[in-house]
Amino acid sequence: MFISKKKTALVLLTAASAMTIMSACGQDNKSSNTLSNAVPTDAPASSNANNASAPSADPSASPAAESVDELYAKAKEEGKLIVYSTSGRANDAAETFMKQYPGIKVEVSKVKSDEMMDKVTKEQDAGQFNPDVIITKEVSGAVEEEMVMTGRYLKYLPEDIAPMVDEPYRTQAEAYANYVEFRTLFYNKSTYAEAPVTNWWDLTTPEFKGKVYTADPLSSPAFMDLFTTMVINSDDMAAAYKEKFGKDIVLNGTDNAGYEFIQELFDNGLIVLKGSDDVLDAIGKAKSEALGLAVSGDVSKNEEKGWTIAPIYDIKPKTSVPDSGYFFIANKAPHEAAAKLFIRWMMGEKDGSGEGLAPFNEVGSWVPRSDVKTKNDISFEELNLWLFDGDALYKTAPKVRDFWIKQK
Amino acid sequence: MANKTALTVRSTRFYNGMLNWLRSPIHLIGLAALLFLAYTIAWPVLKILYTTFLWRQQDVRLTGEANPGHFTLYHWTRVLASDMSMNLFYKPILNSLGVGFAVSALSMLIGCGLAWLVVRTNVPWKKTIAFLAVIPYLLPSWIISQAWLTFFKNDKIGGTTGIMEALFHVSPPDWLSYGFVPIVVSLSIHDSVFFFLIVGAALSSMNSQLEEAASVTGAARWTILRRIVFPLVMPSILSGFILIFTKAISSYGVPALLGTPVNFYMISTMLYSSMRSRLTTEANVLSLTLMLISMLTIYLNQRVVGRRKSFVTVTGKDSARTLTSLGRWRYPAAGTAAVVMILISVVPLLVLLFQSFMLKEGVYSLSNFTAHYWWGGSDPNINTGEKGVLQNNIFMLALKNSLYIAGAASVIAAVIGLILGYVVARGRQSWIGRMVDQVSFLPYLIPGISLAAIYISMFAKPTLIIPALYGTITLLILITVVKELPFTVKAGSASMLQIGKELEEAAQISGASWFTRFRRILLPLNRKSLMSAFLLVFIGAMKEMELIILLITPRTETLTTITFYYAEKGYEQLTNVILMIIIAIVITVYFLAVKFGKADLTQGIGGQ
Repeated sequence: MFISKKKTALVLLTAASAMTIMSACGQDNKSSNTLSNAVPTDAPASSNANNASAPSADPSASPAAESVDELYAKAKEEGKLIVYSTSGRANDAAETFMKQYPGIKVEVSKVKSDEMMDKVTKEQDAGQFNPDVIITKEVSGAVEEEMVMTGRYLKYLPEDIAPMVDEPYRTQAEAYANYVEFRTLFYNKSTYAEAPVTNWWDLTTPEFKGKVYTADPLSSPAFMDLFTTMVINSDDMAAAYKEKFGKDIVLNGTDNAGYEFIQELFDNGLIVLKGSDDVLDAIGKAKSEALGLAVSGDVSKNEEKGWTIAPIYDIKPKTSVPDSGYFFIANKAPHEAAAKLFIRWMMGEKDGSGEGLAPFNEVGSWVPRSDVKTKNDISFEELNLWLFDGDALYKTAPKVRDFWIKQK
Repeated sequence: MANKTALTVRSTRFYNGMLNWLRSPIHLIGLAALLFLAYTIAWPVLKILYTTFLWRQQDVRLTGEANPGHFTLYHWTRVLASDMSMNLFYKPILNSLGVGFAVSALSMLIGCGLAWLVVRTNVPWKKTIAFLAVIPYLLPSWIISQAWLTFFKNDKIGGTTGIMEALFHVSPPDWLSYGFVPIVVSLSIHDSVFFFLIVGAALSSMNSQLEEAASVTGAARWTILRRIVFPLVMPSILSGFILIFTKAISSYGVPALLGTPVNFYMISTMLYSSMRSRLTTEANVLSLTLMLISMLTIYLNQRVVGRRKSFVTVTGKDSARTLTSLGRWRYPAAGTAAVVMILISVVPLLVLLFQSFMLKEGVYSLSNFTAHYWWGGSDPNINTGEKGVLQNNIFMLALKNSLYIAGAASVIAAVIGLILGYVVARGRQSWIGRMVDQVSFLPYLIPGISLAAIYISMFAKPTLIIPALYGTITLLILITVVKELPFTVKAGSASMLQIGKELEEAAQISGASWFTRFRRILLPLNRKSLMSAFLLVFIGAMKEMELIILLITPRTETLTTITFYYAEKGYEQLTNVILMIIIAIVITVYFLAVKFGKADLTQGIGGQ
């Protein structure tokens, strides 16, 4: 038999790889089993945690809210903090935090909200618990259904700050949100002296034929949420129709007033562009009579981009649905005290004047605290927004998306 | 011997037969390769396939019939045979196929024409033209589409007037400004470099005696091209065709920008929408259809190339290469090529460079120029206090990581590509060769995000001898290698097909082992193919973002993830600065490769 040593080595390597693959298969079965077992046992524990902001069952907020000094002492021992954030504002807050509390190193990972869900889910299923603080927007109710209700993201609202927080973020919403944005109509200030529309149904009149722009809701779930909310609150939409046209709405093959609104928008020549910035470029640069749907936060970029746009804050029946930036502590966070300290910092501490709040309190975003002065023309309490109904959105969003796809 | 029973004789025969089979390097390497590919590619794909037949918890959103955990054909019927299918699947797939074929055809014309011009004729300024040809690939593809819009924009999307409209007072029609035409043109310009490099290689190693023999017997130049040159370089053309076709049907940025205003959707844009809306099974179904299309094209490719035809152009005999003379057309041809290349490559580059120095968009006065975005400190009025790129404290770390990942991944991918290319080229008769060909191409079509999500769970815990790689740079390198494998294997096999067997056989007779043969004969002969594969993978890896964004941890940030952050916040100038830096790095590497690696792209990939 004539086998050289090299050949033997190669054959052994091949065999080893084969075994590896088989064990990988085995490994996978185990982890999928733990997933299906994990869901039912975690759910009851976390739903207890979600019902009250200072529950005794929830380990994240002890009955006597820990004081800042206690937290700092513990956090210094932990020494580190890992943040997953959808927004760059966390970076700015992290810098001021590290100056205020030396000895704690903050690492921020910027991830999109849906990718964050994938990442955290897969990590936790594989037994890795990396992040401490989660800063994320919603994904049409999926964050609440798939991450909060399963106990992967945990609510945290310190008792001493809670009284200053406006509803729904004090008890009703899935968590505390530090900043709220929304999508609304924008118009060109150099063409119109004041807001040209007061009712969503104005967009379906011949006056605005071919002059309405929107960012593509198919690639941006947050835009789809606005339309989905209209469908959920179709009674409001029907009432607004009656208010404008003086007669009851007639449905042309659609299920309710919300769907009818979408259909009439398309019939009136709705133009769909890639993103919010493209929409504002379209209406904001040259003289234009058109209106566009964009994010409230884009007002702050007027100067930089050379736009002359202004948002409309009051539209009948309601202006929009809030797009909230929620704060969570991740399940089994390795540096819990540091996480709590950082969240307190970003909330602006007890009096709302802490530096950590600054990146969140900008033009175009609102902080839902009664003791914080907003930089916008209108305060959070005055906003005329629908409620963000995570459960309804979760179930209805795909249907509205399907409806939109069929309209194309 | 006489005492041995029939059974032991037969088992000895079987045993020897198996050993013999294993001893052939094609089979041995092929087997190892298949196992590696099975773990890194086939397994994720099978998992994706498996999930499309199950109800998931999320599906209660779509229909009340959902029964999580059980078997169902719902997802497939929804995509293929429901009232949604027309807009969700059939229209986009027709658009995708149309774009794919058009882009491949157009790039073939541009790329092959340029390759023939540079490699086989006596046109002057070869090195310049070859260098310029690579530049469109360095830029992100959406830049070309932005340039198109700036030029051909019409009233439909408002904003500042397009240049054509401003100059000629004629509003371009919708079909010119958006949709099919601009998407095809933008993608072709960006991708034609693949054809240029791969076909250029094949052409450069062709023995011109073949052509001379034909012309001596009286064939016209066109006949020579059609009946001798073209058939010989066909594997390269087909490889290029497949690569560009699949790239075109899965491209996202360009169709999103140019297609949305006219409701021109492709499968890639629908897929992105499904992923962002968290309808992951729908996304999986769509990506599986893309993979099916690619497997079909590869199968067709294998049928055309065949099992026994010979495409050998590099043999044991010496070859002469005389260049076709262009006569009077020398300088005009060079001139046109240079001008066109400059228009498509250099102009967008310069525009980007200038924009990175402009404080406000669109204001072209000297007072508007600033170096703030490059090395300025924090200014609260500009970009809400974001510092200039070079002052950004993550910048150095990101730069180091980017270089390390791109460098390591491109070297490994190029070498593995060549080895696997050997298996594919030499193993055309055996099922192993064909299997490797098919499986190694799959990663091209798995959306980067899906692959990354699966890799998190595969590598989060140690499995036997493989350690837990999640969170390390090694995993980033691994996933980049796997994703670029299709290209390197295709390029490697195309160039291996040209090398005659007798070169190896001569060495084999003198007693060289396979490893020595590879190291001392095949590697040097394929050196230029290796170099170009390395270069293209390096460029791709430096630009890569979508693939690695899920796997990044703060310690493994790269330049592209910083770009993502800037793009999300709309900091255009900062994004341009990083792009400039990436391009500068790639051009430097390119120069070094040419000077010291003796890579000469005027000779294309491969050959002497």
